[in-house]
Amino acid sequence: MSVTLARAEPSIAGAGDYIELMKPRVMSLVVFTAFVGMMVAPGHIHPVIGFAALLCITVGAGAAGALNMWYDADIDARMERTAGRPIPRGRVAPGEAAGFGFTLAAFSVVTLGLLINLVAAALLAFTIFFYVAIYTIWLKRSTPQNIVIGGAAGALPPMIGWASATGGLAIEPVVLFLIIFFWTPPHFWALSLYRIGDYARAGVPMLPVVAGEGETRRQIWLYTLLLAPLGVAPWLLGYTGLIYGVAALVLGGGMLVLALRVRRESGGHAACKQLFGFSILYLFLLFAMLLVDRMSGGLFGHFTA
Amino acid sequence: MTMASETMDELRKPPADEPWPQGGIRLNEEQLRARRTRSIAIALALGAFVAVIFAVTIVRLGSAALQRPIYMQPAQPAQGTK
Repeated sequence: MSVTLARAEPSIAGAGDYIELMKPRVMSLVVFTAFVGMMVAPGHIHPVIGFAALLCITVGAGAAGALNMWYDADIDARMERTAGRPIPRGRVAPGEAAGFGFTLAAFSVVTLGLLINLVAAALLAFTIFFYVAIYTIWLKRSTPQNIVIGGAAGALPPMIGWASATGGLAIEPVVLFLIIFFWTPPHFWALSLYRIGDYARAGVPMLPVVAGEGETRRQIWLYTLLLAPLGVAPWLLGYTGLIYGVAALVLGGGMLVLALRVRRESGGHAACKQLFGFSILYLFLLFAMLLVDRMSGGLFGHFTA
Repeated sequence: MTMASETMDELRKPPADEPWPQGGIRLNEEQLRARRTRSIAIALALGAFVAVIFAVTIVRLGSAALQRPIYMQPAQPAQGTK
């Protein structure tokens, strides 16, 4: 029997390439929303325990990002926006990225379970599984509802943060989950409208590619109609004070105005770019205001924590 | 020589048209630099991991971390039982 093995070239991947594999920008939003989920939870979490929990959630999110880049390397290579990622660029071998991702995923989940609690660890494991297996491997290439259902993975971090602090779950983190869940479609579809060529070239069935621009603009508007009241829900349900309520009303109004512009826009993508940029600011400010409201003890209002 | 070791020898051989370089693989400057940054990153990550485990242990156990007996006597059976 004769076996011929290709000799692998020694790796030229530096530490920066591995950090890039973890999608640091996505990771930062995950960490921030998990931090807010942890801070608005009732009771008190020791800063060291809270830091350890956030570190595990950060690494878990990074692991999911690395596994996504490993599986989607073929798609990434065909898309202008992602062609510069470490695997398509030839800096990191696909097998190295897979090993890196699986190792970090196992470490983050086991460490979170041992140091913090099993509920948080189970939620983190489910988040990684959902993002990699359900979204990346299954939905992304098979349905235009990919980012709607897959958005659940990005919406779970506040629940992990809450579970880290309390050891359980409640309605409040579920409301935070729903805000991010309904925020995801307008955010990603706004991006995919002006990157439609990229997705079509890669064969990814994003909504604008499959159903057309008009239908995507209509659905962006519908999801934003659901998102705006959901953003105000923590105040209406009595979880936060007036500061948050006013901020959520103003920010939700901004999202509605921009989504309406996207709905009415024809022959250009300026409104889509505006909505995409503002949607990031919307989520960041909404969660920042939750934090401010919690820190200020729910000024002027019916804060019930 | 057994069948298994023959197979392993075959596996160790480089492809016929690609001989192993004399004295092993020599890394070029870029590969050496990349390996160095990876090694430093792994060292920092392991150090941070140890520090986090240590800090959480101290927070969880407090001063009791230093007061735990090395050996605990097994419980004595109650009198009257065999």
